[in-house]
Amino acid sequence: MENGFIILFGLTMLYLSATSRLIAHVKTIMVQGILLFLICATAFSHLPWYLIAFLTIETLVVKAILIPLFLNKVLKKTHSNRDTDANIAHFYCLLISSIILFGGFMLSVIEIPSLAMINPFCFGIALAVIIISLWLITIKHKILSNVIEFITMENGIFLLSLSVAKEMPMLVNIGVLLDVFIAIYILGLFVSQINTELGDMEVAHLSDLKDCEYND
Amino acid sequence: MISIVLLAPIVFCLVLFFAKNKTLNNILINIYAILHLYCGICYFTKSQYLMNNQYFSLNPSNIIFYLILSVVFLAVAIYNNGYSKNLAFSDKKIMHYATMLLIFVLSMTGGILSNNLGLAWIFIEGTTLASAYLIYFNKTKHSIEAAWKYVFICSIGIALAFVGIILLTVAEGNLNSLNYIDLINNAQSFNHFWLNVSFVFILFGLGTKMGLAPVHFWLPDAHSEAPSPISALLSATLLNCAFLVILNVYKIMLVANCYTYARIVLLFMGFLSLFITAVFLYHTTNYKRMLAYSSIENMGILAIATALGGIAYYALIIHLIGHSLIKASYFLTSGNILELFETKRIKSVRALAQIDRKTAWLWIASFLGICAFPPSMLFVSEFLTVKAMLIQKHYVLCVLFLFLLTVILYAMAKVVIKMVFGEKSEEKSEIASKNLSKVTISMYVPQCVLLTLAFVLGIYLPQFLDIVIRSTIVG
Repeated sequence: MENGFIILFGLTMLYLSATSRLIAHVKTIMVQGILLFLICATAFSHLPWYLIAFLTIETLVVKAILIPLFLNKVLKKTHSNRDTDANIAHFYCLLISSIILFGGFMLSVIEIPSLAMINPFCFGIALAVIIISLWLITIKHKILSNVIEFITMENGIFLLSLSVAKEMPMLVNIGVLLDVFIAIYILGLFVSQINTELGDMEVAHLSDLKDCEYND
Repeated sequence: MISIVLLAPIVFCLVLFFAKNKTLNNILINIYAILHLYCGICYFTKSQYLMNNQYFSLNPSNIIFYLILSVVFLAVAIYNNGYSKNLAFSDKKIMHYATMLLIFVLSMTGGILSNNLGLAWIFIEGTTLASAYLIYFNKTKHSIEAAWKYVFICSIGIALAFVGIILLTVAEGNLNSLNYIDLINNAQSFNHFWLNVSFVFILFGLGTKMGLAPVHFWLPDAHSEAPSPISALLSATLLNCAFLVILNVYKIMLVANCYTYARIVLLFMGFLSLFITAVFLYHTTNYKRMLAYSSIENMGILAIATALGGIAYYALIIHLIGHSLIKASYFLTSGNILELFETKRIKSVRALAQIDRKTAWLWIASFLGICAFPPSMLFVSEFLTVKAMLIQKHYVLCVLFLFLLTVILYAMAKVVIKMVFGEKSEEKSEIASKNLSKVTISMYVPQCVLLTLAFVLGIYLPQFLDIVIRSTIVG
């Protein structure tokens, strides 16, 4: 059951790579949040009930509800619909993401002695999700796309922390702080402020500061 | 005492929030700065009052970092008394500035005092939250760009550092602890493969925060757009906090006898930082960006000294102290120039020596200090670093190191000389003369003290400081 959710989580990254509609990206974030909630609920049976309760409720509320809701609000406010000017065509984007994800699957299948103490399946997929997200950040042009990929990267890191959490829920709790961090700053303050200040959400507009001559 | 240092800013923030009194801003910042330094002094005199606990402690490995933060913060607090009078913002906004400044120092203090890698990571994340607002304080198009780059790049860095911490827990097997003492005591049983991988993630993640190339891109923008007292804190203390965590993880690598790979990565990033600085300093047209690049250079030297080991460890701590004192002075003086000329453009600042002699002297003295002109502390540290390279027979690296430092020295000297002795422009000097009254005595004194400390310690190192430096290396 748990592995099924992890596979679905990995596959959401393929959808994210293949679509340019920002609203679809936000929905993917929501799906990822729900999948992480289900993984948390099924994978931590050995922990005390209050820790499981904290983790699952936090995942569901912050990752699956609050962040997507907030992103949706920002999308409406900024009238952003699509990120059409990615550096690489969607087909190749999908192809490269598939290869990375396949690499993640392979990592979980190959028996590596030093991976014995962790959940290899979780580990491989999480690593693939982090790499795909980092790569997508480099090719997308909209600030909002970058934020969305940052959130998927953070979801990947959360999954990674679940794969090695063992008896150390503190590690996962620290990971939870990343969510709050995103919610407070990247989304709340900057995205809307940048839109007000620059009138557009293109990364290209954030390249005024440089070492050659500019007006200050 | 440690609990008071960590709780006081929270109480002060609440007081500022409810009192809404403009005069309280600077008073509380100054009180906290004195309290902060007093706690550092207690380490030497009344260590029983410190009351270290399992999460926070002042110990031989972090006392130097703490003292640097205390001294620089006190200097910034004094400077801020004059600086904040010139801020043309609403009382509410200036209260926000004071609040975030206190939170920023609190998170740096927490990061330094943490005994636990996870806790240190949380506080480093906290520094991003607080300082982002301060960088964005002027609310211009450029400051929002700088703050966005800072938050976004550092967030990715911090997230990668978290991946490194996760991998460290894989390396530690059944230990289940992130306490530094536990990690060092059990380091020899760690899995070397995972330890190496985790170090790379932590180095690149926190290296982003420290401003090491190739992950330094936020630094010139953020340092140049932040208000000058904040630039001084960012450069002289924030980078040190990230470096302390890297150093603690590197110590684990040393104990685990797994440092060959880590040394190569540190050397690579260190030399790349020097190279990037040498290239970009030639093209920069903004004097605050010049100082920011100089920070990248000095962080590179710290990385190189860490990698070299041996006598370079001593050089590392001397360099850390010297760079923080001098760079804080340099950034604060740049604040004076900005107040006078109302521009950060190098081309527009000329004949500083004729317009404001004191600022001009401070600008030159800071330049001489940062360029390791004897008797600056940086001369001692760079000399010892070169000596370490020669002892270890890294001749090519030594030549490259000296060559890059010379290029950087030339690029900076060119700018400083033009700014201080260049031909006077009537229009700009009229503006500067009009603004002369804005630069009050409290905007000169801190730099004088910091520079005096940096130059005197270059000639005479008191025995107690020498002992502390040696214990930092061992601890």
